[in-house]
Amino acid sequence: MKHLMRLYGIWMGCIILLLSCNSGAGPANQAITAPQKDTIIIKMMAFQPADITVNAGDTIVWINEDIVAHDVSHWPDKSWHSDTLQPHDSFVKIIEDSSTYFCSIHPTMKAQFSVKE
Amino acid sequence: MKTRSKITMMSAGLLLFTLMSCNSGTEQSNSTDSNATVNTETPAPKADATQAPALTDPQIASVAVTANQIDVNYGKIAMNKSSNADIKKFAETMIKDHNDIIKQAVDLATKLNVTPESNSTTQSLLDGEKSMTDTLNSKSGAAFDKAYAENEAAYHDAVVNAVKTVLIPNTKNAELKNLLESVVPLLDHHLEMAKELAAKFQ
Repeated sequence: MKHLMRLYGIWMGCIILLLSCNSGAGPANQAITAPQKDTIIIKMMAFQPADITVNAGDTIVWINEDIVAHDVSHWPDKSWHSDTLQPHDSFVKIIEDSSTYFCSIHPTMKAQFSVKE
Repeated sequence: MKTRSKITMMSAGLLLFTLMSCNSGTEQSNSTDSNATVNTETPAPKADATQAPALTDPQIASVAVTANQIDVNYGKIAMNKSSNADIKKFAETMIKDHNDIIKQAVDLATKLNVTPESNSTTQSLLDGEKSMTDTLNSKSGAAFDKAYAENEAAYHDAVVNAVKTVLIPNTKNAELKNLLESVVPLLDHHLEMAKELAAKFQ
């Protein structure tokens, strides 16, 4: 009997612990948004989409699906930039601030990303 | 209008006129010129093709490769003759981009088992190149930079028009047509870049 009571106590303890964990962690999980990954395709001499809004900490991946090489560079001073991206190459950047960027090989190609306030 | 501007416009006009003439279906002139220029190892245009477009896919492939190669050659002249950073950067991009296009065109032709076929349009392009090369080689310094930039704007303008209105509409093979269509945005950007470059030397 004593053994059964002990088992019952353990089970109840586990259930209470699980319930308290669930109720306590819920709001915290909802408050934190996991970083997202967005993709920008370089094709037909354009960044697609040319304007994108992300959260700070999100990652953007640029994939060159065009027929010639491109790069991804901060406009106008190239304070950050990718290497030259041959067709099928990609570039990954964690986004912290809004920025306008361009292809320094073909300066007429421009686009931007914005970080949500 | 200054002499060099006239030369540039005339060269571009010649290119466009030549391609437009081919599009108008002057089979006789094509056949006549082809006899003089076509590689004897490649089949001549079919004698019964009186209602066919003036340019066949192998001929269009030849025109496309030649037009790209000409701009590569202009770029090489600029890399050798100019000391202007903007000119050199532009020329470097032209050499790289047009070589990439040539490679894709040749790869596609190989895949399709198509031999690019020299024709009167190809020959006209090469004649125009010779004339412009002489002009560019006769200049130096700022005069060369200006002439090169102006020619790039005029040449790309003519090529964009020719690709859109002559080459693409006449192309039969879907993959070749797709390649030509995919090149148009690149040529449009080259044209804008060339205009911006030329404006710096006005």
